[in-house]
Amino acid sequence: MPKRTMQVEAIDHGTVVDHIPSAVTLRVAELIAEDGDQVFIGVNLKSKKVGNKGVVKIASRELRPATLSRLALLAPHATMCIIRDYQVVAKDPIPVPDSFTDIALCPNANCVTNHERWPTQFDVLSQRPLQVRCLHCERDFPASELAIR
Amino acid sequence: MDWPGRHVISIEDFSRDDILHILQTAAELEAHPQPNLLAGCLMATLFFEPSTRTRLSFEAAMSKLGGQIIGFSSAASTSAKKGESLADTIRMAEQYADVLVMRHPRDGSARLASQVSNSPIINGGDGANQHPTQTFLDLYTIAKLFPDRLTHDGPPLAITFAGDLRYGRTVHSLLTALSNFNVRLYTVAPRGLEMPAHHLSRAAERGVIVETLPTLHEAVQLTDVLYMTRLQEERFPDPVEFEHVKATYRINAEMLERAQSHMRLLHPLPRVNEIAQDVDATAHAHYFPQAGNGVPVRQALLGLVLGRL
Repeated sequence: MPKRTMQVEAIDHGTVVDHIPSAVTLRVAELIAEDGDQVFIGVNLKSKKVGNKGVVKIASRELRPATLSRLALLAPHATMCIIRDYQVVAKDPIPVPDSFTDIALCPNANCVTNHERWPTQFDVLSQRPLQVRCLHCERDFPASELAIR
Repeated sequence: MDWPGRHVISIEDFSRDDILHILQTAAELEAHPQPNLLAGCLMATLFFEPSTRTRLSFEAAMSKLGGQIIGFSSAASTSAKKGESLADTIRMAEQYADVLVMRHPRDGSARLASQVSNSPIINGGDGANQHPTQTFLDLYTIAKLFPDRLTHDGPPLAITFAGDLRYGRTVHSLLTALSNFNVRLYTVAPRGLEMPAHHLSRAAERGVIVETLPTLHEAVQLTDVLYMTRLQEERFPDPVEFEHVKATYRINAEMLERAQSHMRLLHPLPRVNEIAQDVDATAHAHYFPQAGNGVPVRQALLGLVLGRL
């Protein structure tokens, strides 16, 4: 059997975020990468599942919980693989929490959280599509309309 | 949920049973006044923007229950003008008062206040978002006019919302609250000022049908309650269109001749042009008694959240 060629270089240890919408792949990379990380990025890759996708690989570490929340907001339907010794040891959807606290701005210009120094909170109304409600102004938004802090 | 210490922020926080409890308590206080119920209690009215009815009726409610009042009626006279955060203003005010009634121009400000205050916060209007005590008094008015109709299984009470249904927070909250009861709802609105779709879909999720009517004439004939709201000129980019719509969205005594005799006309006030003065003398006009119902309803809320009822 011919050896399968990876479109994005394999990593021995680390995290792979897969099935990212191509349009937000670079933002995902920017979000999850920290100083000194080795990052591998693929965009506009063919995928049977989503048609056109992006992949971001971070070598040598797993993602922090706070980063995962932001990632859930940015690419809620992506998947995450944990790699150890070139083996996939875990493959799961990005966990979407019940609410997002202090990681995004409210799109409503008159929301009090845009005028006072106060943490925002968005409660999840539906997962597909990801729809949230601002705890403060009670308006509903698609997650894609939220600017991530 | 326990009533003592409870915040009153959004109609969404209140179940059907909660609402019925408030209405029943208001009715009991109206029938049997308790002039000393809140003796020794202090209410702070924190009005960061002007209000007439809401502030006066809260003050009347507190006074009639023997409580005392402090407060301000514009942000210009507060430390907010000096840059004090809302959270700090609330933390300060709760040191002085047992209950804080607040109106603020920003959406969500009352929720923020409830996150910092140990004293109950009652929302007297937060921007374009919520005005729950107005909703309770509207419901109380309807329940008094049509006893048992909201809760019985008989023919649903027909209620029409007319006017600016897009920006009017009053109609949004009332629609949500009425979705708990046996009602059939209608809307009449100028193009561009229709009820937002998400409010309609939330009502539909609760099994309430909301139908659109073309003109006020149809509404007058088939409805039990006609709830009018004010049209605001700033919502219309074209002044000529505003003048046209203003003329269309106007109820007068002649139009009401085709209404059912029991039909009642409500309005959160202030009215400007949408209800002609000649309507005031008809049996259908009920907007001033409606405003008066704000007192027992706010008495009930104050008594409940202060743990005296």
